[in-house]
Amino acid sequence: MNETKTAAVKEEPKKADAVEKKTEAPAKAEEKKVPEAKATADVTENKEEIDPDDLFKHRVSINLTPENAWFTPSEGGLISLKIINAEGEEEFFERVVIRRSFPVTSPDEFLSVREPDTRAKGRGAEIGMIRNIHIFDQKTVDLINAELDIRYFTPTISKITSAKEKFGYNYWEAETSAGKVSIVLNNPFSNIRVLEDGRIYIFDMDGNCFLIPDPAKLDRQSFRAIEIYI
Amino acid sequence: MKLFYDMPAEDRAAYDAAASPDEVLMYCVPFNVWEEKFVSGWTAVTDRAIYCILSGKLLSSIELERCTVFSTEVLYGNCAFYGVVDGTTTLICQFLSGRNLPRYSVLVQACEDLAKKRRESRAPGDPVVNNENERFCPKCGRPFIPGTNICPFCRNSKEVYKKLWGLTRGLRWMLFFPLFVSVISLAIQFILPAIQRVAVNDYLTNEKIYPLGSFAEDPHKRAFLLIFLAIISIDLVQRILGVIQSRLSAVAGNKFTLMMRTLLYEKISTLSISSISHKSTGDLMGRITGDVNAVQAFMTGQLPSLFTQAASFILALVFLLIINPLMSMFVFVPIPFVVWLVKNFWATMQNRNRKDWVLGYHVRLFLQDILNGIRVVKSFGNEEREIATFHRRTDRHAAQTESNALLFDTFFPLLGFVTRIGSYLILFYGNYLLFKGTMNYGDLHQFNSYANIIYGPLLWITGIPRQISAFLTSLGKVLEILEEQPEVADIGLPIDIDIEGDVRFENVTFGYDSYNPVLEGINLDVKKGEMIGVVGHSGSGKTTLINLLMRLYDVTEGAIMIDDVNIKDISQNALRSQIGVVLQETHLFSGSIRDNIKYAKPHASDEEVIEAAKMANAHDFIVNLPDGYNTMIGEKGYSLSGGERQRVAIARALIHNPKILILDEATAALDTETEKLIQDAINKLSKNRTTFAIAHRLSTLRNADRLIVLDKGHLAECGTHQELLDQKGFYWRLVMAQRQDSGMLDKADKVLAAKKAATA
Repeated sequence: MNETKTAAVKEEPKKADAVEKKTEAPAKAEEKKVPEAKATADVTENKEEIDPDDLFKHRVSINLTPENAWFTPSEGGLISLKIINAEGEEEFFERVVIRRSFPVTSPDEFLSVREPDTRAKGRGAEIGMIRNIHIFDQKTVDLINAELDIRYFTPTISKITSAKEKFGYNYWEAETSAGKVSIVLNNPFSNIRVLEDGRIYIFDMDGNCFLIPDPAKLDRQSFRAIEIYI
Repeated sequence: MKLFYDMPAEDRAAYDAAASPDEVLMYCVPFNVWEEKFVSGWTAVTDRAIYCILSGKLLSSIELERCTVFSTEVLYGNCAFYGVVDGTTTLICQFLSGRNLPRYSVLVQACEDLAKKRRESRAPGDPVVNNENERFCPKCGRPFIPGTNICPFCRNSKEVYKKLWGLTRGLRWMLFFPLFVSVISLAIQFILPAIQRVAVNDYLTNEKIYPLGSFAEDPHKRAFLLIFLAIISIDLVQRILGVIQSRLSAVAGNKFTLMMRTLLYEKISTLSISSISHKSTGDLMGRITGDVNAVQAFMTGQLPSLFTQAASFILALVFLLIINPLMSMFVFVPIPFVVWLVKNFWATMQNRNRKDWVLGYHVRLFLQDILNGIRVVKSFGNEEREIATFHRRTDRHAAQTESNALLFDTFFPLLGFVTRIGSYLILFYGNYLLFKGTMNYGDLHQFNSYANIIYGPLLWITGIPRQISAFLTSLGKVLEILEEQPEVADIGLPIDIDIEGDVRFENVTFGYDSYNPVLEGINLDVKKGEMIGVVGHSGSGKTTLINLLMRLYDVTEGAIMIDDVNIKDISQNALRSQIGVVLQETHLFSGSIRDNIKYAKPHASDEEVIEAAKMANAHDFIVNLPDGYNTMIGEKGYSLSGGERQRVAIARALIHNPKILILDEATAALDTETEKLIQDAINKLSKNRTTFAIAHRLSTLRNADRLIVLDKGHLAECGTHQELLDQKGFYWRLVMAQRQDSGMLDKADKVLAAKKAATA
């Protein structure tokens, strides 16, 4: 459901731009109605000369550094950003969204800072990228990490207290860094993913994502529950 | 879908403390994550504010007046609910996607609506009611079996059995007679050791019996003969009963399967598209074949054996206790140990075999992946690396298989020895009694026979709970479909009208999920015989509009009128038989071209078939096929090209002379020349027919009387080609965008021409 939704949204930014342009164009024409001859000329000219390429223009993503980007906590508890953009102008964003490019392999590097997705405009554009979070001062790092912790909510499983297979599902009771949980897995072979470095990601039917950093360190009972899937 | 939960007392108290007494609580939904912990909190929405409450404490409250836009966002491992408060985006709460995303999607709309009404100081109205299905069991919180409303933990087995009993009507004696027969056959089986005991005790080991004179006069010999005959006839009767039982089960099982399958298929066919589209074809096929089979196998296979196994266990137990209570202890003592051992052994084996299967699966997956992409592997010169990967995987698989085989071959024979421990003990104690003279040989034999019987059912019964639960799940899936009510149903007395072709959309609103409208407030008046082109981005609701016209779904609000009659009042049969449809994905059934064209009108004459084919510009190519109209198409037949299939589909849509014609991207997948042919066909046939044509390629629609442009479910523009161009709106943009490509071509041509001129 979500996928189709976002797919539908994807198409929208272009359209949305067009709406704005469209509403602007006639408004301009009306304003200029006083010198009539000129206005009509303007309109016809407009029709001829709009380069369709303009309709598809995108923001230029920049490399964000402490010299051109200032992250601040917003009043709503999220992150605001002021930048000096590619044209050298100052720009302010009430709220930005930060996404990891490599959430699994390099969580601190290549952070994509974006405008939030909205229903009106669709997918938000990328404002810029942070090559490595540690080029910023500690306060900013903490701010960004707090936001990332909310976005990439991946509790660590420390113990699987019970694992039952029934009716084709796996029902687990586990202790995690976020508290005790009941996990229901369908099709564990595709929802338990083992990385090359031995970390295990587990995706349950609720949309949760759990991490086992090192299966070898689990106790025997917990290990047996996941043993056959790895 | 539940939008109003009852908060626990503690949280309710916190809410009551925070809210003023005249506030109306409209929605209350759970949130699940707070400060990186799983929690169970509540988001309560009243007519004037949003409260977040967690374990008796108010976390935050936001006045709706200050809010404008709400939104949800899918994060990684959870979701978030945001609201724009006084112009700044604020995180309201975090929740789990699988459980609550649909709920919060409704809440987004509802809160925006409430906030707006609050600012305009209007009444909040009634809370939104949502009829979407839940995906999690409201009782235990575990997920339902996907695509169903069945919770395997909370289902009412009694109810299910009751329904099953209802389903067996007409087949009952056939299904239960075999049960009866097998019990008789079992009882006879138990007589046999008793007779054998008499034979052994009274005759074989009776030293008082000496041969006396002729056979006929000797009473002992006559009795012995009788015993001999009894043993043979018991065996014979048992076999005959067995034959009867198997034959009956086979017939009953088959009839039961046939009945269930037909019922299911009928039901699925009559269900509306909206119910069916929620389930995949594979799922439905699985239910018609797999689940029905599982139910049948249980009814005619496992259920009778459950019966007989249980009966034989009880009988054997009783007989053992009657013959010698003390000695039967020797049978029981090892039972727990044996059952434990056998169960454990099989569990271990199953686990290991599963692991083996998984590793084998990885090898197969790898092979499939690599062999399919062998060109890529070779073109990047990566053969060595792939060979190494393959080695690693097959080695692991081979090692596992080997270790499994070794374990099995070692322990399986030992297992046989262990299961016989009881017999050895009996042998020992029995012989002891025999020597002591307190037991005779026949009794020992009989006892031994019963003792051997008792282990079979015991080991068998350990697997029963699993089988029953699998059976119940399959049965539940079958019953669920049988009990579903079609969402789009005819009214009590539907009208059969002859459609003229006037179509009117009156303020039509519709969404596949009620919280996510695909079409909103569509008003459109189409005159008889008009051709309407429908334009818009993908996802703008074009196909939905068409689906509504065919009444594959019912509109949520508003009405669609054909000739001033609401389509809900027209019988679905009458409606659809007068609408012709050509879709982008043409599905032609296996069979001849003639059969396919006649699909919409089975009794059409051959003249009509040819006429329809000619109208669709299909006649020429069909006649040129070796088998003409009798050419077999479909999976095993002749494969038609895309354009040819499309034209056959058009002929199929035309044969019953529909008054309304729908073309949904009918020409999108074709090359320009074929499109031209089809275009001509369409022009011919859209005369005197109300036609709705959806197309991405705008040139397809150049003959349309009017064009409508859909944008995000709204009717954005409506008018002729020229009118819309003059409006310089969406349509103009689409035209520009498509022209852009041809503009590039022109430029490229010019450059090429210039180059040529230069070289010349």
